[in-house]
Amino acid sequence: MNGHPNRPEDFDLYALGVLEGEEKAAIESHVPTCAECAAKLAEARGRIALLALSAPRVEPSPAVRERLMRQVHASAESTGARRVQGAAEPERSAGFFGRWWAAVLVPACILLLFVAARLRNENERLRRELGQEQVTLQKQQKQLDEARHAQALLESKDTVSVALAQQPGMPKGDVRVMYNAKMGMAMCDGWVEPAPANKSYQLWLVPMEGKPISAGMIEGGSINPWMVKLPQGMPAKAFAVTLEPAGGMPQPTGPMVLVGPIT
Amino acid sequence: VSGQTGTELRATDAALIQKIVQQDESALAALYDRYASLLSSLLNRILRDTQASEEILQDVFFLLWRNAAQFDPARGSLPGWLTVIARNRAISRLRRHDPSSGEELLETTVIVPANLENAMTQQQLLGRVKGALENLSAEQRAAIELAYFEGLTHTEIANKTGDPLGTVKTRIRTAVESLKRNLLS
Repeated sequence: MNGHPNRPEDFDLYALGVLEGEEKAAIESHVPTCAECAAKLAEARGRIALLALSAPRVEPSPAVRERLMRQVHASAESTGARRVQGAAEPERSAGFFGRWWAAVLVPACILLLFVAARLRNENERLRRELGQEQVTLQKQQKQLDEARHAQALLESKDTVSVALAQQPGMPKGDVRVMYNAKMGMAMCDGWVEPAPANKSYQLWLVPMEGKPISAGMIEGGSINPWMVKLPQGMPAKAFAVTLEPAGGMPQPTGPMVLVGPIT
Repeated sequence: VSGQTGTELRATDAALIQKIVQQDESALAALYDRYASLLSSLLNRILRDTQASEEILQDVFFLLWRNAAQFDPARGSLPGWLTVIARNRAISRLRRHDPSSGEELLETTVIVPANLENAMTQQQLLGRVKGALENLSAEQRAAIELAYFEGLTHTEIANKTGDPLGTVKTRIRTAVESLKRNLLS
């Protein structure tokens, strides 16, 4: 067979890895020649990849991250060294050091310079790594705090989920806010079409009484979940996203793009 | 909570990939923080060996570091791609095949029907995947798990379970149809 697979599930079966022999060979010979089937296979791979989510959660040890970053750092340094070496090549091959003793002294000098440079680099690297470790530690502590707050928010029975609906004629988007008035916290998630040039999306909490309160800016595209602290005990009637001048405004001035009432 | 309004958003996968191409080590660290847990869970489920899982986890991210320029986020999902590479390497290790470098998969495109950059979406998808698996019969679920987590083919599953090959093929095909329906609904 060198035509399209007979059944649409064949792509999923291939991605799952159960096909063998002729069935497998047929897909492998056809897909590179057919953009339509290549796209179907990419989608099948994505569906099958979702099975990974069903694996019981196992966090890697922090040592893996440390080893990886050391490996990456060393690789970046050696790439830099190779570049320097390559740049020096034409001068050497031009025969400038033509004498016989140059063959001994020059490599020795280069070696000494190389060792000195390595020691200096090593020193700098250690100092930089120490600084990075401290930054990483602070960042991890912050992430841990945020994760704890997010967990408390998601588990609390006082948390409400607010789906913000697109307003007619406005950019498309699907934003959800988890809001807990008692805790004074909200978590935002979803996506929205990129904002026009020099404009930003701004999220607002609309209280039962008083003016809207800014809950932060939203970049266009996919929104990674983020926590926002709001005044505690504030009864709210809705969340809304407006289109504002880049950087946001103290109060909403632009059109409402998305709105979600708190029921 | 930082006490500030949420103006600081995390960079997208595409933005981080671009930074990795420019040799920005912190961008790789950010992607590691985003996806290491997902991959570690998958690798441990396949290999049931912490040390081997961690070796592959490190290798996969180093592969990303060296080959980020070849990955086009517009063509597919980074977590989907990382998952395919990690699974491929783990199955090779499990079955004592020559360990694949993974580089042959660099051109592989994986389109995931959701945005896994996002922890909340991952959580929602997890519920959907579990629901889809629970909709399968016990035999179908076992067959899918033998295929996905142990890398067995139709014939190998038939040999392992003692069921006729035709039965195994039908079972897996109907399971895949059901998964597809439920994951996309």
